[in-house]
Amino acid sequence: MILRWLAILLVLCSSFAYAAEQDLLEPEKAFAFSARVAAPDAIEVRYVIAKGYYMYRDKFRFALEPSAVGAGPAELPPGRLKKDEFFGETQVYRDEVRIRLPINLGGMERAVLVATSQGCADAGVCYVPVEQKAELLLTAVGNFPAGEEPLSRLFAGSRSPDAAAKGEDGLVADLFHGETWLLIASFFGFGLLLSFTPCVLPMVPILSGIIVGRGQHMTRAHGVLLSLAYVLGMAITYALAGVAAGLSGAMLSAALQNPWVLGAFAAIFVALALSMFGFYELQLPTALQSRLAGASSRLHGGHYTGVFVMGVLSALIVGPCVAAPLAGALLYISQSGDAALGGSALFAMALGMGAPLVAVGASAGALLPKAGPWMETVKRFFGVMLLAVAIYLVSPVIPVTAQMLAWAALLVFTGIYLRAIDPLPPAARTFARLSKGAGVIALVAGIAFLVGALSGSRDVLQPLSGLRGTAAGAPTGPGVAFQRVADLAELDAAISAASGKTVMLDFYADWCVSCKEMERYTFTDPAVQSRLAGMIKIQADVTANTAEHQALLKRFRLFGPPGIVFFDPAGREIQGLRVIGFQPAGKFAEVLDQALAVR
Amino acid sequence: MAGVGGVAAAAGYFANLWRIGAAGQVPAGDAAAAAILDGPLQTLDGATQNLSGFRGRILVINYWATWCAPCREEIPLFVRLQQEYGAKGVQFVGIAIDQPDKVRDFAREFRINYPLLIAGIDAMELSRKAGNKAGVLPYTLVLGRPGNIAASLVGGISEMRMRAQLDPLL
Repeated sequence: MILRWLAILLVLCSSFAYAAEQDLLEPEKAFAFSARVAAPDAIEVRYVIAKGYYMYRDKFRFALEPSAVGAGPAELPPGRLKKDEFFGETQVYRDEVRIRLPINLGGMERAVLVATSQGCADAGVCYVPVEQKAELLLTAVGNFPAGEEPLSRLFAGSRSPDAAAKGEDGLVADLFHGETWLLIASFFGFGLLLSFTPCVLPMVPILSGIIVGRGQHMTRAHGVLLSLAYVLGMAITYALAGVAAGLSGAMLSAALQNPWVLGAFAAIFVALALSMFGFYELQLPTALQSRLAGASSRLHGGHYTGVFVMGVLSALIVGPCVAAPLAGALLYISQSGDAALGGSALFAMALGMGAPLVAVGASAGALLPKAGPWMETVKRFFGVMLLAVAIYLVSPVIPVTAQMLAWAALLVFTGIYLRAIDPLPPAARTFARLSKGAGVIALVAGIAFLVGALSGSRDVLQPLSGLRGTAAGAPTGPGVAFQRVADLAELDAAISAASGKTVMLDFYADWCVSCKEMERYTFTDPAVQSRLAGMIKIQADVTANTAEHQALLKRFRLFGPPGIVFFDPAGREIQGLRVIGFQPAGKFAEVLDQALAVR
Repeated sequence: MAGVGGVAAAAGYFANLWRIGAAGQVPAGDAAAAAILDGPLQTLDGATQNLSGFRGRILVINYWATWCAPCREEIPLFVRLQQEYGAKGVQFVGIAIDQPDKVRDFAREFRINYPLLIAGIDAMELSRKAGNKAGVLPYTLVLGRPGNIAASLVGGISEMRMRAQLDPLL
């Protein structure tokens, strides 16, 4: 118990240290810029100024490109007076400022607004004048969102935070993206499933009895409320564990690209899976368990606080069936690095685990499914899931063939255990038939992966593609001629040699599935190729992951491919235009247009 | 469960230490300092010059600008300290991200007794590598005689703090 609190304290302390280092905001964050077309003849520019920062009213400059679009004098609202020893009384803006800029369309549809501004922090520092750009569609009026993320030409080099946006740039973090509610719901389902394991379900009626207490007159509603208090105690404890896992993971995320670390995690998952299959048991040391159980039994049922604490303690006395999947879930969350999500996901999971308890309390035992051998099946299902996650974790760092063989093995063995090749007894029940069906599908898929691996296919998404003679269905057309660079020096040389033209830098590796998809489906598209013809195309193949390759990735704060970065004709990176992950030809052509439009 | 939590937390703690160390309060030390000493700057007359001529002295490189109020406030202090420490081998240098005529007027009014150079945005990039992560002014680098970064100070500096940085290096 003490160890746990100490561990949480340690994690929190180190996270504070991390936060303190970032006291001063970068100018784009301190002065968040956005622009929109407010009327056919006016643009509204908005700055959201962070607390403790201010901007000088007389230091704003606006210009529009192309120059055919005329801009009138900006309507600057009055600011607050600030006494400056050198300049006298100046006006500054704080919190937020909206500036209306009258414009004359001049028959253009699009324009790029270039805004220069200057600001300082109360802490006693000032920022160099910052130039930010926004692309606007002039034909659409109203609440049309600013076209581009603000570009800042001032500090060349990648400082845009979008490196963690979409696509394959983080294994498990990927899975957490966007569908937060889906994830939390699936953790709830996970918890519910956990409650059906053989060590938890039979305890439910007993727990219900303990919660209600002895010799007390209990209404059903009161019983439900007590069960809820118990579940809440459990849920909060699990949520704290989830937050701790998320926090520690945020700092591990860089280290997790190391193949050895990934291998270790995968090994842990395999070990947990084996415990689910019954090879051995994982649980808290019995001494600790009995001590906690003793503490719990000393509490009396029937009172809310007592029941709440019981819930907290029960979260700590993890039984053998729950320990393994729970540890797996914590590791999974620590990979994503999101503490808030980790906390809520585990909270949902605990609610799922406690749901049967509440159901029993509400229905006086009528809703409870009967214990039986099906509970062993649930345990084994978790074991298979853990193995699948282990394979997924290691997939970026093992050769594609090995990856496919691993999937093949998992699917084939699962299929066999689901009795895919055992004859069905004549009086088979529906459940037996269904599970055999699932087993057959798994078996066939596994065989496909096996054949694929052995026939030399390098594509996990199309394992049998190796059997195809010429790619009949694959799009024809020549690929793209890339200039290869192997390290930072070559990259810089190539970019400076390209001055005057837009440059596209593509990070590639043999194991990067979306890179292959881009090559096969997007780069071969004629619309994309015609736009690429006017650009210098550079490719960095980082399959070997040497020190130079890592330095290349690090410069753009990428953890690995995929990643496509654009540079303007002056050789500076175009912020806000990275492509991470697969993009179909139509969308990519639009991105190319935007890249080519930046002068 | 406690074990997993403990391992996760300990791993997080050490990984964080490693990360802070790697990001560096004074990162890449000599390389960043050398880049700054060699970076091309302009004198007030427009000639190109760099700081390599000052190698061997205790250098206080102050990035500033006339439009930056906190920067202006500490200039009188630097003038005083230059007078006091100059003979002991300390050299203040001001790098202004500014226009030459404004700097010239300011220098005349405040009687700045140390060299002033003009720089563009690239100098800010170099200062980032030395430790000025958010790219702000004023930013002061103190280099020891061997050319290592002895202190990387973001924001205005008090007299006491400046003396505390300089005295050990003499």
